[in-house]
Amino acid sequence: MPLEVQGQSLNPLGLGSLAGLGRPSLLAALAFAAASVVLCSLGARRARRDLSDAGIRAAVAAAGFTSFATFCLLTAFFAHDFSLAYVASYSSRSLTGAYTFSALWGGMEGSLLLWALLLTVLGAIALTRASSASTDLVAWAGAVFSSVSCFFLFLLAVPADPFARLAAAPADGQGLNPLLQSPGMLIHPPLLYLGFVGFSIPFAFGVAALLSKRSDDEWLRATRRWTLLAWSSLSIGIVLGGAWAYTELGWGGYWAWDPVENASFMPWLTATAFLHSIVIQEKRRMLKVWNLSLILLTYVLAVFGTFLTRSGILSSIHTFSEGDVGKYFLPYLALVLIAGIALIATRLNALSSENRLDSLLSRESAFMANNVLFLAAAFTVLWGTVYPIVNEWLTGLRLSVGPPFFNRAFVPIGLAIIALTGLGPLISWRRMRGAALLRLLRVPLAIAVVVVAGLGLGGVDSFGALLAFGLCAFTATAVGSEFVRGSRVHRRREGLSWPAALGHTVARNRRRYGGYVVHLGVVLIVIGFAGGWAKVERSRELDAGESMRVGDYALNYEGLASSETPEKQVNDAAIRVTRGGREDKPGDFVTVLHPQRNFHLASRQTQSEVAIRTTPLEDLYVVVTAVDADSAIVLRAFVNPLTWWIWAGAFVMVGGMGVLLSGPSPVSVTVPAPRRLSHAAATSP
Amino acid sequence: MRVIAAVATCLFLLASPAAAAPEDVANDISNEIMSPFCDGVTLHDCPSQEALELRDRIEAWVSQGQSRTQIMSHLEREFGAGIRAAPPAEGAGFAVWLPPLAALAAGAAGAWAIVRKWSRRTHTALPVSVTMTSEERHRLDHELAMLRTAASREGERP
Repeated sequence: MPLEVQGQSLNPLGLGSLAGLGRPSLLAALAFAAASVVLCSLGARRARRDLSDAGIRAAVAAAGFTSFATFCLLTAFFAHDFSLAYVASYSSRSLTGAYTFSALWGGMEGSLLLWALLLTVLGAIALTRASSASTDLVAWAGAVFSSVSCFFLFLLAVPADPFARLAAAPADGQGLNPLLQSPGMLIHPPLLYLGFVGFSIPFAFGVAALLSKRSDDEWLRATRRWTLLAWSSLSIGIVLGGAWAYTELGWGGYWAWDPVENASFMPWLTATAFLHSIVIQEKRRMLKVWNLSLILLTYVLAVFGTFLTRSGILSSIHTFSEGDVGKYFLPYLALVLIAGIALIATRLNALSSENRLDSLLSRESAFMANNVLFLAAAFTVLWGTVYPIVNEWLTGLRLSVGPPFFNRAFVPIGLAIIALTGLGPLISWRRMRGAALLRLLRVPLAIAVVVVAGLGLGGVDSFGALLAFGLCAFTATAVGSEFVRGSRVHRRREGLSWPAALGHTVARNRRRYGGYVVHLGVVLIVIGFAGGWAKVERSRELDAGESMRVGDYALNYEGLASSETPEKQVNDAAIRVTRGGREDKPGDFVTVLHPQRNFHLASRQTQSEVAIRTTPLEDLYVVVTAVDADSAIVLRAFVNPLTWWIWAGAFVMVGGMGVLLSGPSPVSVTVPAPRRLSHAAATSP
Repeated sequence: MRVIAAVATCLFLLASPAAAAPEDVANDISNEIMSPFCDGVTLHDCPSQEALELRDRIEAWVSQGQSRTQIMSHLEREFGAGIRAAPPAEGAGFAVWLPPLAALAAGAAGAWAIVRKWSRRTHTALPVSVTMTSEERHRLDHELAMLRTAASREGERP
C-alpha cells in the first residue's frame, strides 16, 4: 500500500507525483528524435561521421527523456495523482502495488508510452552497439529509427497525452479492469510490445541498406540478434496472451481468432518467414529483395495491428483502450508502405540473386515453400480480419468472420507447415537425390504410421486429429534424428557419452540446433491444439449438495463461502471432484476446486475466476458463470485434453530461443563454391 | 506410401461417429455463431446472461429434433446474416473463402516459377557466400586439415 503523509501520497521511492514534468519531458524527447532524424540524414548524405554520431547521441537523449516521462507517470500512479485523467481512469487507491505498476499500460495513452519507451531505448542501444557496422548504414538506420520514434512521440504529444489533467481531481480512481488484474498481464503486454517494437530495428537497418545503396547482407548481420529477440518476445507474448485468455476469460479456450490476437499473429507469421529466408541470403546471397520486402511487411503489420485495435473499427474482447489515434495511423502506414516499395523497386537490379538454384530438391526450395506457406497463412488471417470492414465498405452489410473461417482456412496451411518443419532438416543444401531423401524419410514416416494406427485403434475418430498427431510424430522424429545424427559424429570423433555428445552438438551450432529445439516446442504446442478434438463441455445450475458430470468426472457443489477484501466481494464455490463413478457407485476422490464469482468494488464489475486441475493428459476447468441470492450457481465445466502440452511446448520454445540467442554473432566469410556437395558434407552439423 | 494410404483409409472407414448429446450439438452451433450480446466473440465464448439463455434455447431446439440448418435459419431470421461466424462458401460468401486459396495457389505458382528460373540460370563464377561463426570456421579448418592428412596418407600407400 502506498504511504500517505499529511494528505499527500508518496510512491515507494519517496517521491510525490512528478506528473508536471512528464509532458515537457515527452516534448523534449520529440525534439531530440526530430534532431536525430536531421543529423543522421545529413551525416549519411555528406559522409560526415561527426554529424551522424551527434544524431545517434540525440536518439539516446530522446530515449532518456522518454524514460523520464514514463517514470513521471509511474510516480503519478503510485502517488494516486488523480488529477491526471489517465491515472484516474486506470487505477484506484485499493489497487495493489504490482497492478498499480501494470496500470501504466492499462489504457491507450500508457500503452503508447510503453511502446515509445521500448522503441527509443531499444533503438538507442541498437544504434550505439552497431558501431562496427558501416558508418553510412548506421547513420541511415539512425535517421529511419528516429523518424519512427517521432511518429509515436507525436501521438503522445498531441492526440494521446498521458499527462492530460482533469478539471477537478476525483477522490478515488475508477480502478483497473478486473480482467487486467492477472499476473500474466504484468509481463504479457511488455513482451508483446517488445516484439512489435523490436522489428523496428531490422526494418530501420533494412531501409538504411536501401538508402545507402548497399547490396550486401551487413544489415542482416547487424540486426540478426535483435530480430531473434523481437521474434522470441512476440512468441512468448502471444503464448502468454493465450494463457491469460485461458485462465481469465472463463470460456475454456486459449485462442479465439479475435482481431487483437490476429493483430499479434500476423507479424509473427511474416517474421517467422523472414527468420527462415534470411538463412538463404546469408548462405547463398539469394532472396535479397524478398527479405527486405518481408521485414517491411512485418513492420507494417505490427503497426497495422496497433491501428486495428486502437482505432475501434474492429471490436475485440482484448481491447481495453480505444481512442482518437486511429486516423493518424493510416497515413503513416501508407507512407511507410509506399516509400518502402518505391525504395525496393529502385534497387531491384542491384539486389538480384548472386547464385543459382542447383536443384529443385534442395534446402533452398524447402525454405521457399516455407515462405509461401507462412505468407499464405498471414494473408488468410489478414483477409479474415479485415473482410468485415471491406464488405461493409463495399456493400453496406456487416458480416462476421470468426473462428469457423480461420479454423477451416488456416489449419490446413498450419499442418502443411508442420510437415515441412519435419521435411526441411532432412533435405541438404544445394541438391539432393530423391532416393537419399526417401531413405531418410523411412523412419519418421514409419513412426507416424504407428502413431496414427495406435491412436485410431485406441478410439481417436477425428481425421483432422489423426492427421495432426501423425504429422507431429513425423516431425518430432525427423528433428530428433538430426540431434542423434549430430551427436553420433561427436561421440565417434571425441569418444563422448551420449548426453555429452548431445551437449557438444548443440553448443557448437547453436543457431541450427536452437532452431530445432524451437521446432520441437512447436510440435508439442500442435499436440496440445490437436487434443481439442476430444474437448467435453457441460453447464448446469446447481444448488448446494447437487452434482453434475463432465467427461469421466463428477462435480459436487458443496457450498459457497462469501467474504470481502478492500478490492472485491469474493464468492468462493467449493467443488468436490471425483472420477470414474457411476450412478450406483461413488468415484475416486480427485480434488476440491474453488472457482470464484467476485464483485470488484472500484470498477463495479463482476468477474469470474476459473479453477483448473491440470495434468499432462487433460485439464479439468470449472467456472461459475452466475450466483443467485440463494447461493445456487451456474457451473460451466470443461475437460480439455492435452492443453498442458501447449504450455510445455512454449517452455521448450523458450529454451530453444535461449540457445539461439546465446550463440556467437556470425562473421561473413566467402568460400569458393565446391563443384559438388555430397549429402553427408552438406548435412553434417 | 501405399501402407500409409491403406492405414488412413481403414481408420477413416472404422471411425463411426457416435450420436452426439444435444448439449454437444448446441455447443457446436454456439461456436458457429457470433454473440449478439458481446462484441467480437462467438456465442459460445460470450459470458453474458443473455448468451447463456440463447445457448439454452438452442439446446432446447436440438432436443426437439430441429436440424442445424433449421436452427441457423431461426437465428438468422432473429439476428440477421451477421450472426454467422463465417459466411457459407456459396454466393457472395464465396468472396471470403476464395482469396486465401487464390493467394496460396498464386504463391506456390510464383515460387515454382522462380525456382525453375533460378535452377535453369547459367552457373556464374561468383563465389558462394557462407556466413560462419568462428566455431564453424575453426571446425571447417580442422576437418579440412584432417582430409588433407588422410589424402596424404592415401598418397603414401604403395
